[in-house]
Amino acid sequence: MPFNQKPEKFAAKINTVTIGNGDKAIALGGESVLPFYAFDGPIDNAPKVGVEVTDLGVDESVPGVKAYYEGCSSVAEMAKKASEMEGADFVVLSLKGGDPNGEDKPTEDLVAIVKEVVEALGDYPLVVEGSGNVEKDSELLTKVSEACQGKNALIMSAKEENYKTVGASAGLAYGLNVGAESAVDINLAKQLNVITTQLGVNAEKIVMNIGNAAVGYGYEYVVSTMDRIRNAALSQDDATLQMPIITPVSIDAWSVKESMASEEDMPEWGPAEERGIGMEIMGAAADLVSGSHAVILKHPQSVATISKMIKELV
Amino acid sequence: MAKFMVVGERIHCISPVIREAFEKRDPEPILKRAKEQIEAGATYIDLNIGPAENDGEDLMKWGVKLIQENFDNIPLALDTANKAAIEAGISVYNRDKGKPIINSADAGDRLSYIDLAAHNDAIVFALCSAGAVPADADERMVFCQQMLEHGLTLGMEAEDLWFDPLFLVAKGMQEQAQHIMNATRMMNEMGLITTGGLSNISNGMPKQIRPIVDSFMLAMCMANGLSSIIANPCDQKLMETVKTCDMLLNNTMYADSYLDL
Repeated sequence: MPFNQKPEKFAAKINTVTIGNGDKAIALGGESVLPFYAFDGPIDNAPKVGVEVTDLGVDESVPGVKAYYEGCSSVAEMAKKASEMEGADFVVLSLKGGDPNGEDKPTEDLVAIVKEVVEALGDYPLVVEGSGNVEKDSELLTKVSEACQGKNALIMSAKEENYKTVGASAGLAYGLNVGAESAVDINLAKQLNVITTQLGVNAEKIVMNIGNAAVGYGYEYVVSTMDRIRNAALSQDDATLQMPIITPVSIDAWSVKESMASEEDMPEWGPAEERGIGMEIMGAAADLVSGSHAVILKHPQSVATISKMIKELV
Repeated sequence: MAKFMVVGERIHCISPVIREAFEKRDPEPILKRAKEQIEAGATYIDLNIGPAENDGEDLMKWGVKLIQENFDNIPLALDTANKAAIEAGISVYNRDKGKPIINSADAGDRLSYIDLAAHNDAIVFALCSAGAVPADADERMVFCQQMLEHGLTLGMEAEDLWFDPLFLVAKGMQEQAQHIMNATRMMNEMGLITTGGLSNISNGMPKQIRPIVDSFMLAMCMANGLSSIIANPCDQKLMETVKTCDMLLNNTMYADSYLDL
């Protein structure tokens, strides 16, 4: 009997969100199919890979990362270098140094860094992540949004606690893209999209960060959450879940013992850096097949590998 | 299962305001009621022009164009005994958002409305009755089978026949509510699409009780697989019931604001 292909057709589609301007701009989403199901229908915008740099400068703990940014004397130079990495589609500037429980850098210092990075990157797509502290981010991301005006950047993230200030500044006042962040909770992911749009933010300017985990650390909840979001978006035509998904992978991948324990402590595990790269690649690959439209990575080898994987599949 | 559908029933010639608007071809009252129902969550709008023996064709054309042109081609149910008026309405109907519905056929004198749907590639509401009140669920199923076979013979898809188990007034025919639910479940198990005129159930009851009885009846029918209802979407209790049942049946994803959507 001949094979009779029956494409799974959905009347609904994922919103298309553009980040950056001009030739370098990237588009996330826009498809009416399950992840990588290019045999069911067109995937005009392949998933994208972002490279993370932080206001804290070069990460000296990972030799491959340190070597890549060798000679960079500022965060802006690092951002420029990151944009030139093989396989990179966008740059992510993390302002984790602003966390009051960490270095607690003042907002003005961080905004100055953002301005330099914006200057260095020009039209190249930029994603800015806050400090992770909801109170600090309310103020910080408002100023960051002002600094990114006209750059069509993505500002991450609006959470349940501060979506009003972050959404109002990034989305309403400065017309940027807004990241809506929840922590592996599908009902909250939907709720945040609902209330952010009720605030007046254009649904087509929202990107979801539904949360992540390192592989082996409750990761199956991430997969099921992404699965259910994509299914609700396409099969139930749920407009409140049709936003594309961006997933920061590097933070979780590089902070678990599998990637941090030294080779001296765990000789049977082999070189630490290779393990970290492995965790990062496995996490990113799994996120992409589960429904992420963009992943945020750190190591040049992970970026090149995931980018190649995407090119082979789409 | 697919999300529940509500056919808004408020453009009905029995209402003096609507009847007058039909006579004078006054768009305002019609548009107002269409807007209210769409905003409240109606999937389809029923356009009931009554028997319309004199100018039915012209009136239906006017009504179809008026509502569709003002509301992004929202799909409509064309509701009249005047077949020529239904065909006239379909001749100007825009199918972008869905096929027209013919309201309605039955297994008796109105069987030929299924033919009308088949010839016009329309959906048809099929009342499981041949005129008299069906005794129980089994009798409803006999009518359902007859109409299904009739439609399929004419080349229709089963999904274009929406079966109405015949909602009857509970005050006086209380035992019928269970028969309606049972018939709904049997049709659902056959994979058929179902509908019904909900407000019959609470006919004759005090005004403050009607929304309660309507809502509970709807919830119980939705639990048995009912696919759609002809009702007043401006009844807040009713729409809360639809949204909550849809959520509990896993047809829609829960969020704290789900009642606002």
